[in-house]
Parts: sequence; C-alpha cells; structure tokens
Amino acid sequence: MKQEGILRHAATRLLGLIPTLLVLITIAFFLIRVAPGGPFDSEKALPPEIRANLDAKYHLDEPLLQQYFRYLGQIISGDFGPSFQYKDWSVNELIAQGFPVSATLGGLAMLLAFVIGSLVGIAAALRQNSAADYSIMGVAMLGISIPNFVVAPLLILGVAVYAGWLPAGGWDWSWQRMVLPVVTLALPVIAYIARLMRGSMIEVLHSNFIRTARAKGLPERVVIRRHALKPAILPVISYMGPATAALITGSVVIERIYSIPGLGSYFVQGALNRDYTLVMGVVVFYGVVIIVLNFIVDLLYAWLNPRIRYDETQ
Amino acid sequence: MPTRPTRVLFPLAGLTLALLAGTLSAATVHRGLGPEPDSLQIHQAQGLAAVNLLRDIREGLVTFDVSGEPVPGQAAAWEVLDDGLRYRFKLRADARWSNGDPVTAGDFVRAWRRAFTPATAAATAGLLRHVRNAEDILQGRLEPDALGIRSVDPGTLEIELNQAAPWFPEILAHPVAFPLHADGLDDPRSAPVNGAFRITEWTPRASIRLAPNPEFHAAGTIALDGVVYYPIEEPATELARYRAGELDITETIPAGRFAWLQEHLPDDLHVHPYLGSFWLGLNLTHPELGRSRELRQALALAIDRGIVARTVLGAGELPGWSIVPPGIAGYTPAVMPQSGLSQADREADARRLYRQSGVARNGPLLLELRYNTSGVHRRVAVAVAAMWKQVLGVNTELVNEEWKVFVNNRRLGTVTEVFRGGWIADFADPTSFLDLLIGDSSMNHTFYRNPAFDDLLSRAGAAAGAQRMELLRQAETLLTEDMPVIPLYYYVSRHLVRPRVSGYADNLRDIHLSRYLQLETDEF
Repeated sequence: MKQEGILRHAATRLLGLIPTLLVLITIAFFLIRVAPGGPFDSEKALPPEIRANLDAKYHLDEPLLQQYFRYLGQIISGDFGPSFQYKDWSVNELIAQGFPVSATLGGLAMLLAFVIGSLVGIAAALRQNSAADYSIMGVAMLGISIPNFVVAPLLILGVAVYAGWLPAGGWDWSWQRMVLPVVTLALPVIAYIARLMRGSMIEVLHSNFIRTARAKGLPERVVIRRHALKPAILPVISYMGPATAALITGSVVIERIYSIPGLGSYFVQGALNRDYTLVMGVVVFYGVVIIVLNFIVDLLYAWLNPRIRYDETQ
Repeated sequence: MPTRPTRVLFPLAGLTLALLAGTLSAATVHRGLGPEPDSLQIHQAQGLAAVNLLRDIREGLVTFDVSGEPVPGQAAAWEVLDDGLRYRFKLRADARWSNGDPVTAGDFVRAWRRAFTPATAAATAGLLRHVRNAEDILQGRLEPDALGIRSVDPGTLEIELNQAAPWFPEILAHPVAFPLHADGLDDPRSAPVNGAFRITEWTPRASIRLAPNPEFHAAGTIALDGVVYYPIEEPATELARYRAGELDITETIPAGRFAWLQEHLPDDLHVHPYLGSFWLGLNLTHPELGRSRELRQALALAIDRGIVARTVLGAGELPGWSIVPPGIAGYTPAVMPQSGLSQADREADARRLYRQSGVARNGPLLLELRYNTSGVHRRVAVAVAAMWKQVLGVNTELVNEEWKVFVNNRRLGTVTEVFRGGWIADFADPTSFLDLLIGDSSMNHTFYRNPAFDDLLSRAGAAAGAQRMELLRQAETLLTEDMPVIPLYYYVSRHLVRPRVSGYADNLRDIHLSRYLQLETDEF
C-alpha cells in the first residue's frame, strides 16, 4: 500500500465531504420548513404581539432564503444556535451532552456485536450445514426479526422488575444502567454480523488460495487465522461503517424505553416539535459522523484487502 | 456456556445495587416528571413539568397547601381594595433569596415588567392580562413600566387590575408571577431562588437533583434531605422503574394498565378528579353542523359516555355532561338536561332530533372526525364513530394528524368538521373554560358566536360572589342547548405513590409540592 496514495485519497474524500454536507443541510433545512406548523404553535394561541416578539427573537420573521444563509454562516462558525424547545440549552450543549451517552452505548454495543457476531459466524461456517450451524443461524434469524421494542420491555421485566438485578432504566454513567441497553442494541447487530461472517467465511474457505494453504500442510487453525480471516471479514467491515454511525448517534426506541438521555430522541422530538435548529443540528452532526466512519471503513478496507489501491485511477 | 459468568455476575450486580440503594439518603424522594421541562426560566416555562418543578424551587406571593388550595406564600397577607380592583400585599419579613438577600416588592416589579418586555417574549404573560394596562403593553401600545404593579415600600406591593377577577390570587402562584433577584434574573443555573429547594445538579433528560434551601421561610418544616426528579417520557418505562423501586411517585400511569394496577398495586394507585374536560368540537362554519342545532344535539346524545369512560378509556375517567368539570368551589356545572335519562331514551331522542334536522334527506351524513396522534384519542374516535353509525346512521371518516398540524388546522378552521378538543384549567374558575367559547376568542375553534353567551360572560365579569356564579351557569346552560362542543368525559389525575410517602394528598389541581412530602424510613 502506497503512503501517498492513501493520503491523496484521504484529502479527496475530506474535500468531498463539503458538497455532501451542503446538500444535506440544504435539503434538511427546506424540508423541515415545508412541514406545516412551526415551533411556537401550541394549544394556546399566543397573543400576536408575543408571537411577533418570538419570531423576531429567532429571526423567523426574515425571508426563508435569508434565514438559510444566516444558518449557513452560523454553522461555519460551529454554532448550531439555540433550541426552540429546550429553551435553557443551545443545540451545541444538547449534542455535547447527548452524544457521549449514545456513543458509549453504541460503541460498546458494536464492540460486543463484532466480537460475538464474528466468533459465532466463524463457528457456524466451520461446521457448515451441521446441527450447530442451523441452530446458530436460527437464533440469529430470530435476533434480526424480533424488534428491540419487544426485546427491551421483556429484558426490563425479567432482569429489573422481577429479578431486581439491574435498574429498569435511567442514566448516571454506572455500568449497571448500561448493560440492558447495550445488550438490546447489540442483539440484532450480533445476528446480522454472524450471518455476514458465516456467509463470507464459507465463500473464502472454498477459494483456491485456502486450498493451496491446506495443501501446503498448514494446520487448520493457521489457515483460518492467517489466511481466511482477513478476506472473510471484509463484508463485515463495510457493514460496520454505517451500522456504527447508526448505533453511536442513538436509537429513539432504546432511549425511550430505557429513558436514556442520548442523541436519538432529538431526531424525533426535534422534528415533531418543529425545533428547526435542533433537527438541523443533529442531522448535520449525523451526516458528519457517517461520512467520517465510512472514510475510516475505506481505509480499513484498503489495509485488509491488498487488491484495493487508492493510487490507481479506476 | 454463558450460564456460569451470568450466575456470578448478576447477583453481584444486585448486591452492589442494594448497597447503593442503602447508601442513598433514605429521606430523598424520587419523582417522575413526565417530559424534560421546556425551560426553568419563569418567563419561558410553559409545560406542566417545568411549572411543577419551578414551584418547588421558587415561590410567588401565593402558593399551594398540601391539598392544592392557594395559600399565602411570599406574601404574609393581603387586602382586596376598590371592589377587587386593587390588591395590597404585605411580604413576609422572613422571605429571603437563597443567597440571604431579602425578597422585596421591587423584585416582583422587576420580574413582572420583564415578563411584559417584548424581548422576553414570555408566552404565559397572557395569564396576567387582567392587570392594569397589561393588554396595551402586550399590544405594544404602552411601555412595560406602565404595568399596574407598584412597590409601596420594600415590604409592600400593590397590584391594580382592569377588571375584578376573583381567581386572581391563584394566578400569583404561577411561575410567570414569581419575583426575580437582580443577579442572574431567571438563569436556571446560577440565579438565586426563593423556594423550598434549589437545584444542585441538572442533567437534561436524565435527572434534576434538588436540595433544601436553608433560607426558605419554612425551611424548618421540610422533612426531606433532597428530591430527585426524573424526566421519563414513556409511561411504561416510568411504571417499570417504579416497580423496580427506583421511583417513589410517578407522573402518570400507562394507558390500559389501570385494571392491572388496581389489582396489583391498589395501595399505590391514586386516581382523582382533575380540573379538565375532554370534548368534541364542532366547526359551526360547516354548512350542516352550523345550520342545525338538532343535528348537533343528536350527535351529542348518540354517544354512550358510560362506555367511553369505562370501557374505551378505563382509567377512572368520569362521563362528562358539561364543559366545566365538577369540583370548582361555589359552582355547579350546567349539565346536558338529558344526563338524567337512560341511554336508550337518549338514543331515541337522538334519532328524533336527527330526523328533525333533515340532514339525512339526501342519504346519510358523512362527517370527518379529526384528532391528534395518540392511542387514547384514536380509541375514543373509533368508539364515537361506531356509535354515530349505529344510532344515527351517520358515516364518520377518521383523520389522524400530527400535533402541530392538528393545532394549526383547528385554529384556521378551514378543513375541520368535528375535532378533538379539551381543556385543563389555568385556575379553578368556570371562566377558564367558558372564555374559550367567547365569539372573538382566539381559542374558539368552533366559531360559535352567540351574543347572549358573550353578554352573560361580560355581566359575570362585573358581578361578584354567588351572583357571578349564577350568570356563568346561565352562560354554560346556553352551551348545553346550542351544543357547539360535545362534552365526553372529565379528566382524572393518575399517579403511583408509595405508601411510605406521607404529606401527599390527592387534589383537584393535581399540585403536590415536595416541601410537604415525608418518607417513613423503616425500609432500609
């Protein structure tokens, strides 16, 4: 792998981030404004004067295009503005408080899912079409198909309410409160990774270079670890980019059921409340996270797969 | 394979938690708060969560006692002068801010003027609209210092009203009428407070911790070492956390769990009438709905409220026959005259009125019933549609809208026909409900306009005591005849409260200040 190639590739990708983000911001900005109703519509109609004062305070009285450019200017200086709904906090503060929570949960869940999912997947691949393989894949299928809003309440009921081993929800950075949400988040991902891993491992094990390795008399352990693992894990890695982005930016369902102050609820709450700045803030933030993670995945890919070279113009 | 580590791990976790719970101060009350408060600035707070929390950390001239009745707070006493147009408050000598400064009349004047300053854009300033010049200031015709509030001396405050309002003292217990210290004003993180508690830690959407404020005038009566509020949006989660022993008082109970709770947690379940009613509004600009009073009455009578309240809702709600819910002192709601009949008789009446209305001459009527997304509203809408179909043959199309879209459509009234309505009183007075149907009220989504009704309300505004209540009752009687809204049920408040919590009393306003709570600490 050539060093300059990677660097040039990195620079191009980072530059490509800017137009992507610009498109994202523009679409999100106008989409949320198209939705009927505004941040100050509520059951009690505000007196017109108060309404006018509020609009002026948040610049909602300006033409939309002017608001758009004002917003772009703000974002460049790294300021997402005040939240309309949580009036005591700025969007930056809300993201700064929510993201570490979501990132911790999502990161742990991904780690768990990656380790268990790959091991289980490999185990199944090595015993292809055996009873063990079928039962592992059966369980994995269940893991994918049972939604987390079913799993979570069952876990709460069993582990927290009846057994009393762990708290039922809430957040204070203690590990006890992380266990259930991490497990709930990880379950479908474990299942998915296990299936991916099994499939690609089976494919790799049937390829010529593995046959060669075995023909050379290498022990099976070495064949798997040194030769089969790296190419077999590639599909898992490419899945992990967007999956990690989704996990670490929080899950609405998990946050609601376990009452966790993560980032995920802000997408829904922000949109429902027409909290324009909050929605924009989390969307832009999510966009950046996805782009960065996909970039990392690309680099990992190049490292794992010698056939991919970034210095070649393809 | 995974059994072994689990066996070791989970009891360990349980043990740690038990120890942790034991070390938590036993005199700390853990309360569910509902959603995260929208703001803890007195002029920005609108939601119930914020208002409830602010009442624990700040206090107005008036506050609430353990049973939710208004009692003197920062004021020691007051006189009502000029036939209810002027109030003179004597502040408590021991009213102090958390930094030790005395609370002065000037602190109230400062706060009120700030509430009416355009830059503050206080959404709840309208609650003080009866204060002299308030309307003109809100409309921008006068400056905030023209507001009818005056510091006579540091311990005496005078407030003038445009119009007598017997419920005015209760408004003074709302955060919008609280005083502000000159330092930090209402910055929720740094400003001095004058309530029973102060915030020690605030993690948005996780917890808000309160400790007693030693400068509070009744600090000696406070039994708790602290209060922790947990914003929990999902009632099912709140229930799980309550059952797991993490909460002492919940904000609500999940829909559909009432019967289960009655059976399994009967000593913890508190269901009590609440100052709110639910109704279906009828848009009177709709040709048929607006033209025919008989049709409106037929629609109202065809609904079996017993089934709606007991079976469809089933959480202690009471069948509603009036706009104003029962329970307001000195007022008996004007209920629909047919409330005493049997449901079969009402349905016969409904059919007769429907025929009289003549709307079905060219085939059955098709109505649209609009409600905002919510499981409860959907169930009610489905039931009502079925009853209309069964009794009258009226076809109903259900339209479900997201909240922001719904409130806008309801206000504009161009597409609405029948719509979900309802109200929770700002203060315990019939006008909190009846004012909604005044001809030019911005909240009148039915576009009902009856000069006789408006006239009765304005005459009531000039009257007092029993005479005033009688005029209001006459006004409400007009509503039961004209039927611009169809009352369905009266709200209830619902909480789970651990039996070891004392100083908690169910009440009509559903206000439970933490300063009265006590814990029996024999559990640990």
